Amino acid sequence: MNLNAFNLGMLRMWLPPKLLLIMKLIIIIMTTCLLQVSAATFAQKFTYAKKDATYSLVFKEIIKQTGYKILYSDQILDKTKTINVDFKGAELKEVMETLLKNQPLSYEIDETTILIKEKEPTFLDRLAKRWASIDANGRVVDSENRPLPGASVKVKKTGKGVSTDKDGRFFLRGVEEGAVLVISFIGYLPKEVSASANMGNVVLEQSLSKLDEVQVIAYGTTTQRLSTGNTFSVKASDIEKAPVGNPLLALAGRVPGLVITQSSGLPGSNVTVRIQGQNSISKGNDPFYVIDGVPFPSQNLSGVNGTIIQEGSPLGFINSQDIESIDVLKDADATAIYGSRAANGAILITTKKGKAGQTKVNMNVQTGIGQVSHKLDLMNTSQYLEMRREAIKNDGLIIPATPTLEYYDLTLYDQNRYTDWQKELIGNVAKYTDMQATISGGNENTQFSFGANYHKETTVFPGDFADKKGSVHLNITNVSANGKFKMHFMGNYLNDNNHLPGVDLTNTAIQLIPNAPILYDNEGKLNWELYNGISTWDNPLAYMARKYNKESNNLVSNIEVSYQIINGLQLKSGFGYNRLQNDDAYTNPQISISPNATYNGRSAAFGSTNVNTWLIEPQLTYQLKKSFGSLDFLLGSTFQKSRNKILLLGGSGYGSDVQLDDIRSASSISIDNSLQSIYNYNALFGRVNYNLKDRYLLNFTIRRDGSSRFGSENLFHNFFALAGAWVFSSEKWMEENLPSLSYGKIKLSYGITGSDQIGDYTFMNLYSPYTTDLPYGGGAALRPVGHSNPYLQWEETRKLNLGLDLGIFKDRLLFNLNYYLNRSGNQLLAQVLPIITGFSSITQNFDAKVQNTGIELNLKTVNIKSRNFSWSSNLNFTKNSNKLIRYDNLENSGYKDYYVIGEPIDIVKAYQYAGVNSQTGFYQFRKADGTITDSPVDPDDKFVLLNTSPKFYGGFSNTLNYKGFTIDFLFQFVKQIGQDPGKFGNPIPGYYSSSTATGNQPLGILDGWKQPNDLATIQKLTTDFGTGYFPYDFVRMSDFSYSDASFIRLKNLSVSWAIPKSIIGKTHLQSARIYFQGQNLLTFTRFQGLDPENQSDYRLPPLRVLTLGIQLVL
Amino acid sequence: MNLKIKKMKNIGPIKWNLLLPIMLFSIILCSCKKFIEVQSPVTSVNEGNVYNNDNTATSVLTALYAQMSNEAVGDFGITSLSKVAELSADNLALNDLTNIPLISFYRNNLNGTSSAPGFWSQLYQGVYQTNAAIEGLNTSTSLTPLVKRQLLGEAQFMRAFFYFYLVNLYGDIPLVLVTNYKGNAIMGRTDKSKVYEQIITDLKSAKNLLSQDYLDVTLLNKSTERIRPNRAAATALLARVYLFSGDFIQAEAQSSLLLNNDINYKLVDLDKVFLRNSKETIWSLQPVIINFNTWESRKFILPSTGPNTEFPLSLSKQLIASFDADDKRLNIWTGDVTADGVKFYYAYKYKAALNATSVSEYGMVLRLAEQYLVRAEARVYQNKLTGINSAASDLDAIRLRAGLLPTTASTKQDLLDAILKERQHELFTEWGHRWFDLKRTNKIDEVMSMVCPLKGGVWQSYKALYPIPQVEINRNPGMTGQQNPGYSN
Repeated sequence: MNLNAFNLGMLRMWLPPKLLLIMKLIIIIMTTCLLQVSAATFAQKFTYAKKDATYSLVFKEIIKQTGYKILYSDQILDKTKTINVDFKGAELKEVMETLLKNQPLSYEIDETTILIKEKEPTFLDRLAKRWASIDANGRVVDSENRPLPGASVKVKKTGKGVSTDKDGRFFLRGVEEGAVLVISFIGYLPKEVSASANMGNVVLEQSLSKLDEVQVIAYGTTTQRLSTGNTFSVKASDIEKAPVGNPLLALAGRVPGLVITQSSGLPGSNVTVRIQGQNSISKGNDPFYVIDGVPFPSQNLSGVNGTIIQEGSPLGFINSQDIESIDVLKDADATAIYGSRAANGAILITTKKGKAGQTKVNMNVQTGIGQVSHKLDLMNTSQYLEMRREAIKNDGLIIPATPTLEYYDLTLYDQNRYTDWQKELIGNVAKYTDMQATISGGNENTQFSFGANYHKETTVFPGDFADKKGSVHLNITNVSANGKFKMHFMGNYLNDNNHLPGVDLTNTAIQLIPNAPILYDNEGKLNWELYNGISTWDNPLAYMARKYNKESNNLVSNIEVSYQIINGLQLKSGFGYNRLQNDDAYTNPQISISPNATYNGRSAAFGSTNVNTWLIEPQLTYQLKKSFGSLDFLLGSTFQKSRNKILLLGGSGYGSDVQLDDIRSASSISIDNSLQSIYNYNALFGRVNYNLKDRYLLNFTIRRDGSSRFGSENLFHNFFALAGAWVFSSEKWMEENLPSLSYGKIKLSYGITGSDQIGDYTFMNLYSPYTTDLPYGGGAALRPVGHSNPYLQWEETRKLNLGLDLGIFKDRLLFNLNYYLNRSGNQLLAQVLPIITGFSSITQNFDAKVQNTGIELNLKTVNIKSRNFSWSSNLNFTKNSNKLIRYDNLENSGYKDYYVIGEPIDIVKAYQYAGVNSQTGFYQFRKADGTITDSPVDPDDKFVLLNTSPKFYGGFSNTLNYKGFTIDFLFQFVKQIGQDPGKFGNPIPGYYSSSTATGNQPLGILDGWKQPNDLATIQKLTTDFGTGYFPYDFVRMSDFSYSDASFIRLKNLSVSWAIPKSIIGKTHLQSARIYFQGQNLLTFTRFQGLDPENQSDYRLPPLRVLTLGIQLVL
Repeated sequence: MNLKIKKMKNIGPIKWNLLLPIMLFSIILCSCKKFIEVQSPVTSVNEGNVYNNDNTATSVLTALYAQMSNEAVGDFGITSLSKVAELSADNLALNDLTNIPLISFYRNNLNGTSSAPGFWSQLYQGVYQTNAAIEGLNTSTSLTPLVKRQLLGEAQFMRAFFYFYLVNLYGDIPLVLVTNYKGNAIMGRTDKSKVYEQIITDLKSAKNLLSQDYLDVTLLNKSTERIRPNRAAATALLARVYLFSGDFIQAEAQSSLLLNNDINYKLVDLDKVFLRNSKETIWSLQPVIINFNTWESRKFILPSTGPNTEFPLSLSKQLIASFDADDKRLNIWTGDVTADGVKFYYAYKYKAALNATSVSEYGMVLRLAEQYLVRAEARVYQNKLTGINSAASDLDAIRLRAGLLPTTASTKQDLLDAILKERQHELFTEWGHRWFDLKRTNKIDEVMSMVCPLKGGVWQSYKALYPIPQVEINRNPGMTGQQNPGYSN
């Protein structure tokens, strides 16, 4: 560090003030250690005389004459201060003493350097200082003279500080006049001013650059400016805009490289999350979730089987409004420190913390509606009946004169009745209510945030069903007076009561025949449309009598304590605990069963599952700042234990429907599943980050992991990543030649991560109880559940990421481009075995490699920024291509019919559709050899390869501000193909199922084959399952059943109006805002099914949600 | 030098400040292998310890019986042979032609990709369980000797039982006798005769190991419950296997062992045959579903409204027509309903209704009547045709109980025909006897080419063997191209 006094000032112009301060401190520390050399050895003589000479002038002269360097900081000595000097051949020592005589300064001389430092104050000095202290007061405002409440005002030297009140005012007692005060506020550039009694307004400039926003990374934070990895941060402002019950849904379309798929429009349903494609062929592909440092399960344990929402996404148990940011970590640099857990990327959720300042109450209420946004075009009654008559004619059958089972629709039911079952069964309006209240505040040492939330969502089904959530959230941060000891507590508790019907009526709504009987009879009871005393159909409302209730309780808590041992060295540890408990129950009352049933069909199933995870993560961090750059070290260890419990009970033989919820009323109780499993995990990890002048950055992470999920022969493994970045825009030649490029960085990372999402105990040959209602012979039964494999180990993903970040026109245009190449090997696959071995598979590590390559692009622009109007946009785009690049001996493995080397792993093999046989009227297909057949053979004739994963996807969002109005909208786009479930009817067109009264078909079926020599795409109508089903089944597995499922969707729209001060001025309100939010508002697609996202005709599509809300801040 | 001393002075105290926490930290950091090793979950045991304890070892065999009893007739569990194999033959009619899996069996229209897999998988999973048990029991040193002996006997018996059905359904099959999946995964088909040899070896050994008495779940006490295989069960199956493999002397000898043991086993009245622990029972399955008796009573008895999708089965017209009018079995073992003017007969051997408060019937696996018919047939081939201790006398024992006159057959062929017919009338809807009888007596083409068209199918000889699930052939390099002849690849 070869600095002289004069370029220290220059340094200040481009170095962040904090860094400069640190550098200065280092200089002082260094010199204190090194330079206690007597000045007596100095021989140089100094001659100089001048009146009112500035110190800097004098120092310049000393340097000139003696060749010594002089080191000092501007804070201690104002170089513009003047002094009268008259030296003649004076010794350097004498000169210095004269110069510093009336200054609180001393000096030291080391060989050729003179260091000027503050004098150790004497007792008298200190006494004097007391007398000299003043009470500083002032006001902190932004550039528009608006007060900044909660800004921090600190005396630089002592660290003593206060924060500003609601008017931005501060009052600091007993400050030395002229002492340096550091004034800072989040989102603004900090400022240093000297203290005086009346300081007036201190103006802080806003830091406009997104590059300086905090990004949360594994075990720390960074900024986009200094990051070496590929991460993406979504802030509360975006998350809050989406009226969704699960925060993950707010990410859809916003994050490059991230695909979010909602399986159903019901609250609490599954959400699939994929980061940079699918890495694992058959095991878990979920990212690693971490909430404020505590790992969170990506999947619920499965409770009652086959429920309407499947297992459900556990992330729905986090209140989205409590979230400050969601950071998506993608490349090895960002994730390798999570070792064996984050090969599929990581999603870090950070909750809102309190800010010092006046206590603030934030209340937010919104209410709205949700609806199915798209209905299918189905046949009306006359079209349906016509279709049936044709089918019967085709089969050479005759409609009987008296009603029989197979012909109720044509002989018994009203021939003119028409019901739009989609409207009737899934066409209701779901009501949406959300209330939030947060109190936050605190002072310099302690900040808190406490929030409570109530959320209710009903369904579009007929009946009284709703998901209700209540949650509380608490965050407390405390810093000791000396700033060395820090404590942070986070507690998040949510209770969810999800009451849903036991059956999703979507499929029924599509298939019920249009002239099916009415739902209720004259007496208001369920209508079973009796004929000869026997019910002729299953009234779909009876299914609604089946109930699925799920109560979930989720606690996430974490305490983090840290202690600064010496400057730069910090010891900290997190203690986290998460408990996710689900209790679900499915009840099947007798009234849900047709009155024909003579047996007691009452049954109930009860599930109780919980996941308990505790975590201890001691960490040691050390920061070293040297002339060769700054180094950050992290060394840590993880101890994690997860305990899973599942207990599933079944009850039957109940005496009445009202007793179903009470298992004791069941005359027979079965234990359907019981599991207690343990997952232990231990790791040692480290990171070294090197930063030279914010220009050259290097990051190295390493982790050694041990997990109980693996066989005794392979318990431990190492993971690492190395990354580097070069901020080339800071190079002088760049600054000179391309001044409009405000920021430019290229980065490169490479590393190895792993995935242990293979389930517990997979390596063991376990024997599980085989339970029956009555024990056989009174004894227990045990049976083996799999082959053992003690060599089981991690799946490994090697990731290479190359990135380019550009900021143009003072970062008004920010552009990020990432290219990634991820290769996942050591795949854990069920090696398919012939059943003669006892089991159909064994889990093994295979030398199979899956490659994901892609580019991710993000463009953030501030299009217009003026006093009253601003407009900014964000465009992201991702193209991922997945490929199986290696699979030794695939031809002889059980997967040979599923995978093709060089093709994506989720490839679909399909038959080649060859139209309808113009003579027989049934579908026909082209065999691999080109010949036409009506009975293609699996797998030989499934030679058409279809790639159903998105070809590209992204989002385009805009934010417009005009005075108090803000409009935000997000378009999501996906290019893909998908299976249209209804294209060929469901099930075989022409067939009518009497028990369920189903058989209605999409309108497209009407254009089917009618008579020989017809050229048609839809096969002939038939009532005969025996002849009609196989061709139907084949065609659904043909290429023709896949079509363009691309879509552009107005995913989110939010309009808000901040009520002007002039209106709320007289109230106690700080601010008030009225807003409208919408989710899934418009969809442009060619897909014919209900929804191109979940592509299902048996699960409710994602709903269109519209809400209106008001937010008040006190 | 001055400089150095200064340095030491300054850093000295810091060092201790640093060292203590770092030392503490290092201790915490030590990755310990102990921490991440887990015991097997408390809700299950593993191969390492399951055979070290009498109770858990017994539970492994118990599971086989419990599974057989629990699996619905219709899930292609082993017990559903009573339905499915009978559909393939001429005893049952299918009244719901939308039932895709059953219709393939009914119309003898199976292929490698249709629903045949059930039996193959279920039977081989059973074989694995017995192999694992035999290996585990043989290496275990901590079991009570009597328990170990009985369990080994049960395991060998069950392995023979599963192979008997495999070989009769599929012909030549892989003969898997160990658990090591690496070798088994590439095993090809073994000649039928070798499989029979193994079955006989296992049964002989089992007969030797198994207790003469029926035992309770401790395997140390006698029980009246005839629900675990004992020596008699091994003997009965051995008699059948000898008959099937043409060793008539042995077949007669084995069945005689049972038929002479009239203290424990004898024919009972027709309406008492299927009652729990009837004297005719050699081995039966205890129902394990609450409010249920047997799956047979649940599935075969037709509702008063006639067959429907849930109850699609009725006895075939040919079967009903072939009974003599005064055959009491027609009365006692069949029932009928009339729907839409059509009379449907159903198997009514098991009568216990649903929601019965007590379990009165057990699912019969082996019973004494079959042994009479086994010995009768074995005696025909030894030319013991008529008179005392002859084929005719054994046959008449069965006919007598059914209220029929003694047989008039006296020639070898007539007797064989009479026995075949008697077997059909006595053993219909039990374990697919009819299907196997038609095959082993080489009558299958003759009978099926007549019956199959009535069912809506086309008969070809190759259909006597079920196809092996094609997916299983694809998964096993040792079986490449070894699908049963006639079935496309």
